[in-house]
Order: sequence, then structure tokens, then C-alpha cells
Amino acid sequence: MAHALTINNLRFSYLSYQERSNEPLFCDLSLSIEEGERVLLLAPFDMGKTTLAKIIGGVCPKYFPGTMTGSITLFGTDLSTVEPWQLLTEVGYVSQNPAEQFIATTVEEEIAFPLESLGLSRAEMRERIATVLEAWGLAHLGDANESELSGGERKRVLLAIQQALSPRLWLLDEPFDDLDPVWRVRLKETILAGGKTTLVLASRYLADFADLFDRVLLLDERRIVALPLRESLSRFSTLCGDDKPSPLLDQTIEDQRRTTLSAGALAVERKRRSTTSTPPFEMTVDSFALESGELVTLTGANGSGKSSFSRLLCGLDEPKRGVIAIDGKRQSTKELNRSVGYLFQNPDLQIFLPTVEEELSWSLRRRRELSSSEIAERVGFAADLFALDLGDTPTTMSYPKRKALQAAVYYLLDRPFYILDELDSALTYHSALSIMASLRQRGSGILLITHDRLFAAKVEGRAYTIEAGRLIER
Amino acid sequence: MNTSAFVAGNGWLYRFDPRAKILLMVLLCIFFFLPITLLGLFLSVLLVIAVGWRNTGTKNIKGVFLSIAPMLLFMLLFSPFNVRSGEPLWRIGAVTIITVEGALQALRLACRFIGITYVCTLLFATTVMGEIMLALRFWRLPYKAALVVTLSFTYIPFIAESFSQIAESHRLREAALEERKNYIQRLKDLVPTLTSVLVVALRSIPNLAMSLEMRGLGRSERRTSYRSLDSYTRLFTDFVISITIVTMLWLIFKA
Amino acid sequence: MQHNKNALKIAVTAVLTAVVVVFTMIVRIPTAKGYLNLCDVAICFIAFTFGPTSAFIAAGLGTALADLISGYAQWAPISFAVHGLEGLLIALIVRSRNGSEASIVKKILAGIVCMATVSLGYFALSALFISTVAVAAAEIPGNLAQSAVGFVLGLGVSSAVKRAYPPVRSLSW
Repeated sequence: MAHALTINNLRFSYLSYQERSNEPLFCDLSLSIEEGERVLLLAPFDMGKTTLAKIIGGVCPKYFPGTMTGSITLFGTDLSTVEPWQLLTEVGYVSQNPAEQFIATTVEEEIAFPLESLGLSRAEMRERIATVLEAWGLAHLGDANESELSGGERKRVLLAIQQALSPRLWLLDEPFDDLDPVWRVRLKETILAGGKTTLVLASRYLADFADLFDRVLLLDERRIVALPLRESLSRFSTLCGDDKPSPLLDQTIEDQRRTTLSAGALAVERKRRSTTSTPPFEMTVDSFALESGELVTLTGANGSGKSSFSRLLCGLDEPKRGVIAIDGKRQSTKELNRSVGYLFQNPDLQIFLPTVEEELSWSLRRRRELSSSEIAERVGFAADLFALDLGDTPTTMSYPKRKALQAAVYYLLDRPFYILDELDSALTYHSALSIMASLRQRGSGILLITHDRLFAAKVEGRAYTIEAGRLIER
Repeated sequence: MNTSAFVAGNGWLYRFDPRAKILLMVLLCIFFFLPITLLGLFLSVLLVIAVGWRNTGTKNIKGVFLSIAPMLLFMLLFSPFNVRSGEPLWRIGAVTIITVEGALQALRLACRFIGITYVCTLLFATTVMGEIMLALRFWRLPYKAALVVTLSFTYIPFIAESFSQIAESHRLREAALEERKNYIQRLKDLVPTLTSVLVVALRSIPNLAMSLEMRGLGRSERRTSYRSLDSYTRLFTDFVISITIVTMLWLIFKA
Repeated sequence: MQHNKNALKIAVTAVLTAVVVVFTMIVRIPTAKGYLNLCDVAICFIAFTFGPTSAFIAAGLGTALADLISGYAQWAPISFAVHGLEGLLIALIVRSRNGSEASIVKKILAGIVCMATVSLGYFALSALFISTVAVAAAEIPGNLAQSAVGFVLGLGVSSAVKRAYPPVRSLSW
């Protein structure tokens, strides 16, 4: 059988924008995949999984500068001699973060774009588009805009494009993420039926789909290793820190505060985007409480209203009805802004300044009662606690570091309550738990929002869920 | 945020071929500057408004008018004073305040202003953006230019959404209830927010470039187009209508 | 191999255009009369960071699109010309061959040119094609104030972005 993909002695490091150079992500990495093979590559978060995908797709280091040595051959062609657009029918990449791959105004035009590049006739395009829209349950969304789609729908659009183009190598980065069970099964069936060479990259192991793959590989210490499945999985969980004890267990909380954030008879109105004609959807909360030092989880499907509820708790929106109180005293939105810290899922929306030090000291400097030595001491302490380097530039730090910085900023604000929105997405469970432990250190109450029930189960404490528009305690 | 000036409807203007509609718009704008009688200009503008009202409804027509009302008022109040010569219309003592010519001049400018406004607005209110781009491509707009416009339309909501979230997050980070800030401080506080918005936007550039190439932009095949204006079957007729309307107006109303 | 970066040019222009649209439409500071918009901040940033071509297209196209979207289509061609020219001129003044920071004299000159282009450009084109001399003249003070604030903030934002996001250098063309 012919080789679909061969990588020999790949070494890659990103371009550094500081004095010291970056550590290489890969060293002597080699990989070989036969045509028609289906391979799962397990890689812990932030170990270069997505970079590897972009290298294979031909766009790194072109658009993500760095130094690369080694050779890559794709279906017999040396990758360094071709441009990405020449690979259109050779390799199809589905990104972990679908939003970054959208380029057209509607779903239909999104699918049409690569077909137009191929110069297909209009009739041919119409037929292929109708087929894949049907296959991925998107027929009613043909005219929808990317911003109106849920995460799962976005992923289905990318998979629909993949099917319409039907490239020889399917390069899928966390394809099962965000998909509802029925579409996960559909994806599995599509991969099996298509018979294409498939490389799936994942940072969490999905036992349900184990039988889909011919081989399971592991990205370990900058190279790819092949071990028997059982050993691979055990090594993988070591790499992810899953076997370390949860930092939340036996944690001693320094400060024993006694406050309670509570909400009663709340009604949340969730407005849909302008163009969809469905009426606004209401969510109700009969009673909710969060105490100092407590860990509470909130789970619910995508789009069930978790974020809308969080926005009320931290005072970004006014409730339609009902009261939010701290220790029984009704709070205005302004007061809530200052008592409930809300860590957005995307840390980049909460990072503003050129260095970690400026970022951490920004809000402390605005408090007149603090001397500069006190500020330096607190900033230094927080940097140590969250393992940050004060001189680093936040925008070029890794995702887990940016997430830690976001948490450190809020740690210094010392809010009595924190809401952590999808903290575990793109973080290992262990680093997510460590962030939670640090934020709880001084007795704050924490509400963790997640759609991953596995992660929610790791956090002992009361649990809320949203079902059919009602927030209830489980 | 809404990035479209389109108003849903199905009047004849909606069924008019966009390629011809653009021509009609340009011709009408030129017509408003030609030497025509004031009555003629007035009647033509009235015609444009009437057509707009039939096609896009009262609400839209009113909205457009309200948006230009302050400017219009200002124009009518001040421009008559510019023309000093001619027959006096209003005088206080020996001083002529407004001349007949001045008043007529102001009316002409106001009519022209209203006319241009409605003509431009109607094009965008009755044609979806995608079809305007296709029509501009027909008028020889290069593909890459059309692509830049389309892409920026897809990025506007993303950047606007990031902006509002960043501004919110800034609000959540303030240390304590801060006293009313002065103007300079408010502007200074804006710098980190704007910087952050720009960084978020800039970070998306490599991803966009990557996705364009991975979707085959740059291939040697001749690009085909999925969307077309084929559903408009009367291109020639609509061209003829466009040219006829403007020619007729010119012949009837020329000064 | 020599990479062909056509897609990068398109991506840069499109995203920067969208940035100008958002800064023009969304960010508004209330003043004594009406609003000040921040399109000049975005335009100065682009001129300082990306150079003349990007500045001309993004500034002109961005403000024109903002006019179209907000229902002031009649202003779009004028905005395109005035702001496009503004971006182009600022970028040409502060451009340096060796990538060094522009001198303070150049910055002041760029600021004056920015204010002059915006106020005089709108005055001339609006008086000629849309309104009248008197109406157009009344807009001058507002435009001067807006472009002055925009330019100063633009300077601040440009240097902040360069520090906060060093990879920006690899994006300009």
C-alpha cells in the first residue's frame, strides 16, 4: 500500500518575539500513515497538536512564523514544493475552533467557496451542496449567518464542506467536540463509509469511538510514539495530569468568609439573533444559592441559557423579573459587577495590556490606599501562585498561560464570588482544577459552568442543571 | 449588530435587475445636477419618494427622512442668505435679508439633497448585499475587491461583538466604585479597550489568510460562481427602462 | 521557496476595513452636541502600523461601508475619498525605510495633515455635491475636534498594540 502521509524528523519552534528563543514543539518527530488508514493521535492540550495539523495543511510556518526542519510527503509530493491551495483535494482540515475557518456570509456560500475554487459548474455545485446540507441536518440553515450558528452547527458546516470536497486525507482536529451524540455517530459512519485516509487529533480520549481507528498514537515529549493501546492511554493520562490528586481535595481555605449569593424567582430573556424568526426564549430560576468557599457546578446543553444566567449574576444584564441578593440584601447591577467575578470562556477578551506585570497591577494601581511596594508584593505573589512570568507578553503566551493570567487578574481583585465559564475547554482537567483551587484559596464561592459532565463529576459539590428552560438543583 | 440596510419586500423595485438598478441610480444622481427646472426637480424627487414608499413602506421612508432632517433644516435656514443679489423677498428696513433667488437656490439644494439620499438608500434597501456585489462584478469590479468587501462584512459582527465583550470585561475589572471620571480619564481608559479589540482583530488575520488558501483561493482554475443573477430574466428590458426613465425626465424638465 | 502571500493581503485589508467600520459605528463618545466617532483612531492606527496601501483602502472602504450600513449612502463616496486620503497621507508621512519609529516632528505634521484633510475634505466635497457652503462650513469645528481626538488616541493605541502584540510586524505588507 502507498503512503498517504510521511513525516521525517520534523522539528519546529515558533518565532520568538522576546530575547530568549522558544523551545521546539517537535523534535525528531516522525509519522507514517498508509492510504486508507484511520489513525487517532492523542496529544495533551497545548503540546502542538493544532500546530502539527497546520503544518500538514501547508499553512504553518507560512502564516504562523517559526523555524521548521525535516521533510513531509503527502501522497508522494514533497509538501515544501506546493502551496496550500494546491492541496484542496488532497487534504481537508477541520479546525478545533470552527469559527476561525468561516469566510463566507452564509452557510451555503461557505460550502460553495471551495467548490468555486475548483471551477465546478453551477449544477454540480447545487447538487453537492444539497446533498451535504441534507446529510448534516443543515438544510434549514442554508441562508443562516455564521454568527447565528451554535458551536455544534458550525462544526457540522465544516464537516459538510469536507464531505462536499471529499479530499484524500481527512485531517480532523477534535471533530467530536461540540457535536451532539447523533451527529457524533453520523461522523463515525461518514468516516467509515468514505474509506478516506483519516487522521483524528484529540486531547481527550473517547472510548465510544475506539473501534473507529486502526491505530492510536501518542504525542509524547515532542515526538510521536506507538504503544499498545492500554499503555498509550495510561501514559496519556499521566501526561494530562489526570492521575495527580485533585488540588481541590483537602484544600485548606485561608479566610473563612460567610456570605451567600442568592437568586430567586428570576426570569431571563434570551434574545435570538435578528434574522431567525423564532420568538425570544425565557429561562426561569426558582432558587439559586452560592456560599463562600463553596464549589457549585452548572451544566446544560449548548445554548440552554447558562451564559445568560451568568450575565445576570455578575450584573452585566438586568433580570426581567426577580431578585439577586448577597446575604439577603438586594444588589444593583453595579454592586454585582464588583462582587461577582466572571471569567469569560475566551481569556483574550479580558487581557488588555502589553506585559503580565502591567496586566496584574492595572486595577491595584487604581486603588489609592495601596503603596507601590504593596502592589509589587501582591502582584509577585499572584504571579507565583499562577506560575506566570511578569515580563511575558500575554498575547504570545500559550493558551493555558493566558487562562491562568485571566484567573490571576481576578484573584487580585479578591471578589467574594467567581463564575468560571467553560474553564475546562482546551485545558487539562488538572490545570482547570488548579485554577479553581487558587481562586478558592481565600474563601471565594465558585460557580463552574461546563457542558462536560465528566469534568463536573470531578468537582464535588452541589450541582445545578438547566432543563427545558428551568434551572434546577440536581 | 445589523450590517444590512436591506428592507424585506417584493415590490417591482425588488424584481428590477440589480445591474440595471445600479445604472439607474447613477443616472438619476447625475440628472439631479443637470440644469433642470425647479418644478421638474421637485416632481422627480417626489416620484422617487413615491416609488420608494410603494416598495419599502412608510416606516423606511420616514426613517430616511428623519435621519436627514437636521441637516435639511440647517440647509433651509442658512443657505438662502448666501445669495445676495436679485429681487428682495424679505427686508428689515433697508437691509435685504433674503432674496427670491436665494430662497429658490435653497429649495433646489434641499430637493437635490433629498433626491440623492433616497436614490442611494433605495438601492441598498431593495437589493441584498450579495446581489449588489454580483452586479458590481458585472460592472467590472475585480473579484478580489468584491471578496474584500464580502469578507469585511463577515468580520464586522465578530469585531463588534468582541468590542462589547471587552468593554464589559473592563467594567467588571474596576477595583471599587469609582467616582465620576473626568473626560480625559475616560478617553485614557479607552486606550486599553481599543488596543484589546485591535489585538483580537489582528489575531484573526493569519487564520483568515490560512482559511482562504485552504479553501483554494489562488488556484489556477478559472473560478466559477455559485450565486448568479440568473433569476432576473429581464436584464435588457430593465436597461432600456432605466435609460428611458432618465431620458424622459431630462426631456420634459430641462430648463 | 518564495511564498505567494496574496491571501494575506486580502485578509489584512478585509479585517482592517471591518475594524474601521466597527470603530466608526459602535464606539461613540457622547459630547455636548451629538457623538464623536472613533474612525480616526482606527485610521491612524492602520496608517502607523500597516503603511499607505492598506491605510488608503481600509480607511476609505471602511468609512464608506459604515455610511452604507447606517443609511447615509449619499455620503459614502465622499467618506471614501476623504478618509482614504487621510489614511494615505498619514502613512506616507510617518513611513520610514528602516522600520524605526517616526520622529516627533513627523508625528505632529501627520496630526496636522490628518485634521486638515478631514475638515477641508468634507467641507469641499460636501459643499460641491451634497449640501451648501454654509452647511458644510458649520461642520468644520466638529470634524476638527473629532480628528484631533482621533489622532491622539490613535498614537496611543498604535504604540500599545505594537507592544502588546509583537507579531503584528509579520502582518504588514
